Amino acid sequence: MTTKAKLLTTIIAITLSMIVWSCASISVFSPEAYKQAVDLKVESLNLMSFATMPYADYEEEVIYLNTELDKAFEFSNGRPDNEISTEQWDILINKEGNLLGGFLKRWETEGSLSEMFVTEMQILVSDAFDTIIGLESGKIDPSEFK
Amino acid sequence: MPTFNDFVSALKTDLLDFAKVNYEEYKDELLKDGTLFIEKAKSDLERWTDGLASGALSKADFEFLLKGKKDLAQMEALKQLGLSKIRITKITNSIIDVVVGSAFKTFL
Repeated sequence: MTTKAKLLTTIIAITLSMIVWSCASISVFSPEAYKQAVDLKVESLNLMSFATMPYADYEEEVIYLNTELDKAFEFSNGRPDNEISTEQWDILINKEGNLLGGFLKRWETEGSLSEMFVTEMQILVSDAFDTIIGLESGKIDPSEFK
Repeated sequence: MPTFNDFVSALKTDLLDFAKVNYEEYKDELLKDGTLFIEKAKSDLERWTDGLASGALSKADFEFLLKGKKDLAQMEALKQLGLSKIRITKITNSIIDVVVGSAFKTFL
């Protein structure tokens, strides 16, 4: 093998290593994940606004929303190199936590919640969804990889 | 009626006392982090303490909101971590483009 060929092989090897390394660092943009987060933000904030009413009247809606949130978590968890977004979903929907999951659980436990608490939690949950949406929209579009 | 500034003063004193008892060697950092948290969450805390004083929020509501703010801060930190990784990936891609371009220009 000539010196030029060796050099070319080395450069290609380094380049491929960098591609592998860079691709492994974080997932690429997913339009489906983005849409899922936006849709769930709207649906969640809408349902939360009814939390001043008896939980029993909205139990079916809460169960449905929880299922959709679980699907979003599993979708995120199943994407390669997507640990950061998955951790965000985990914090948001954790029933033992203090964002959406904890809020829905508290509504179920207490029957209804105070108006100010609901309004303030909507602000927090809206911001929480925005962190997921903001990260997803910042990811590199697969078409940018030449 | 206590004001928000009374609350902030009381909180700083409590933080310092807590740090002295539990984390003497880290008391300066704890007070600094606590003050930073208060500054970042100031507008929320003002509304929530008003709500607590007026009875619009219960103690449990107030505690839940504060913990929610902490969870939100974690999510924001994760977002920033992810965006940093994306920036590194973009820089790496640019370097790859340069390497490939130079190699082709030189050898082909």
